[in-house]
Amino acid sequence: MSSLLLMLLPIIIIQFILMIVALIDLVKIPQTNGPKWLWAIVIVFANILGPIIYFIFGRKQV
Amino acid sequence: MIQWRVLLQKEWRDHVRSLKILWIPLVFVLYGVMQPVTLYYMEDIMKAVGNMPEGFDMGIADMTSVEVISSTVGQFHLIVSLIIVLSFMGIISKERKNRTAALLYVRPISFASYYFSKWSGATIVALFSTIIGLLASYYYTVILYNEVEVWRIAALIGTYSLWVLFVVTVTVTASALFSTGVAGTLAILLTYFLQLIDSIIGQFWTVSPWKLGTYAVTWLGSKPDSSDFWLSVVVTVVAIIVLMLVGVFGARKNMENIKI
Repeated sequence: MSSLLLMLLPIIIIQFILMIVALIDLVKIPQTNGPKWLWAIVIVFANILGPIIYFIFGRKQV
Repeated sequence: MIQWRVLLQKEWRDHVRSLKILWIPLVFVLYGVMQPVTLYYMEDIMKAVGNMPEGFDMGIADMTSVEVISSTVGQFHLIVSLIIVLSFMGIISKERKNRTAALLYVRPISFASYYFSKWSGATIVALFSTIIGLLASYYYTVILYNEVEVWRIAALIGTYSLWVLFVVTVTVTASALFSTGVAGTLAILLTYFLQLIDSIIGQFWTVSPWKLGTYAVTWLGSKPDSSDFWLSVVVTVVAIIVLMLVGVFGARKNMENIKI
């Protein structure tokens, strides 16, 4: 079981980094497409796809 | 050349600020790593989730690393073109809309260096992500399953990189020719859907850029049919060069469409 955890650890860490980076970006960015709180929910609860969808569609380029 | 370098630095800064240089490699690594690990622990997962009948064997435990890498590249193939197209579809058309283009176009820049700076910036990000993703998947496969010769992986990555170059070129050119929405749709049609069509009725021809993903995987087991393979490579390179010329022309032609 510990080897399973060791194998899954990088995946979890990468997911976590993606989520944190997306959340930090969400806080810092002045405006998003759509309400910010909605994007926060998407990033946190839609596992891998959440941050990806945010980075592609959520960021409003000024 | 100097213009190209300066514009490329601007591109690079854009990719850093929009975090593309961070999240695209991470996502590709994630998708590269997930498949081998999931396949390896599939039996444990099945045991934990549901009650399988006694003596049930899915034959996953004795998969070879070649099969694992092929299925990983298959997964990878679905996500790569989609993410590249979606994240770079606005690379030129967006600038026309958000007034950056007005600042650039009043200067005597050549449109060739403008287009190539865009293309190089997108290529650096896309190729880096693809290579690092495939290497991560190779690393996991070697740890969990058995060894694969290095030159086979190198050939796979080389072939696959050409496909990525093709996707990037299609996207940047579409972005030079049309507005962001049209460019995205066109690029997805040209890469994603033609590739699906190619996999459905593709046995009638053997030479096309959309076959490169299949040929890349064939390097693992044996070797692809060399004349078909090299013809596909040549066709793809020619297509990339033609698309670049069209892109430079399109960027110049759309000069009056900018918003000031």
